[in-house]
Amino acid sequence: MNEQRREELLRAMLIELAGNGYNNASVERALTETDVSVAEFEAEFGDKDRCLFAAYDQLTEMVVAKASAKCEYSDPWPVRVRAGLETLLSALAAHPQLAVALTRSFPAIRPAAYQRYVALLSRFVPLMHEGREYSEVDEELPGEVELLAVGAAEAIIFGEVDAGRAERLPQMLPEILFSILVPFMGPDRAADEMRSAAATT
Amino acid sequence: MAECCAEAGYAETQIGDVLARAGVEPDSFESHFSGKEDCALAALNKIVSETLARISMAAPRAGDVIERRKFEVKAILELMAARPAFASLLYVGARQGGTARMHDSYESAARVLALMMERAGDAGGRPSATARAILGGAEAVVRQELATGRAATLPRLLPDFVYAALVPFVGQREALRQAKLAARVAAEEE
Repeated sequence: MNEQRREELLRAMLIELAGNGYNNASVERALTETDVSVAEFEAEFGDKDRCLFAAYDQLTEMVVAKASAKCEYSDPWPVRVRAGLETLLSALAAHPQLAVALTRSFPAIRPAAYQRYVALLSRFVPLMHEGREYSEVDEELPGEVELLAVGAAEAIIFGEVDAGRAERLPQMLPEILFSILVPFMGPDRAADEMRSAAATT
Repeated sequence: MAECCAEAGYAETQIGDVLARAGVEPDSFESHFSGKEDCALAALNKIVSETLARISMAAPRAGDVIERRKFEVKAILELMAARPAFASLLYVGARQGGTARMHDSYESAARVLALMMERAGDAGGRPSATARAILGGAEAVVRQELATGRAATLPRLLPDFVYAALVPFVGQREALRQAKLAARVAAEEE
């Protein structure tokens, strides 16, 4: 199976999952839609679970790569966070069914699938470390502040995707940005960044 | 039910496994619950009502709103440490793995706790999702500790949670001061 057909099949499986849930996600429909034969499917994945896990892994790699790429510029950390967040929210808004598969349908399958979601969130934690340099106090910030920031953003994103409003996510950039920045920069400077983002969103 | 869901996930939890673990006969189960979802909802209601009860018991012991918030956060962490399977059912199973009714139960509990957070200070100029974001951050840490088998040590993270709950409202300096005070209280109790 060539790379393009493989990607189309993985995407079709995630859309099946998001639309119909795990039990009713149909390999047959995904194969028909992508014109992949049963023999090709079995040679490549073997079964539905392997295909779904491969699809999820590919999706999470893409999400992390897109968001991280924007975080690697030489701009100040708050600017890079905003750029990465903007890219992530735009991608989720452009593909609402994949957003549902990412946050809700796949993690619901079973604990092993849920662990993939936890692992995804943990990959954003290192991107937060630099925020400590922006603290307005000399003292050490709490040890879990990075995960608290990532979880804050995730909660808002999850809530919107879950409510069927993934398309709205780019409009929510300013307040999600505030939630990420506030533990590192305090409310006043985080609000400044929020207003700056709102002016250009 | 909570333990089975924590281990296998709601979707793959079988009533037979729940009955075997609890040592309950099918007839007895059927006289109390209409099925798997009904039993899971009862377990969820138990942890939610216990959480709210602990909060209401903790609050009168403190003076101002910040002191109350610290006691409330502490009470919740102690409960989650004592009942990790129920915590998992609420923050993992109902949020991302259960039925629509289980998800509604999680959402209702989250709304109540968000309202509680909003009372921590003047929300002027803060985004409307601030309280929800604070809870989301706290839940992420709870889920991490559950996933790594460290639920019992959740109360030690009280300073982190106090800081996160207060910083959007009172600023970094005061939130850190309160976190330190909370750490001292937690250390004295240990």
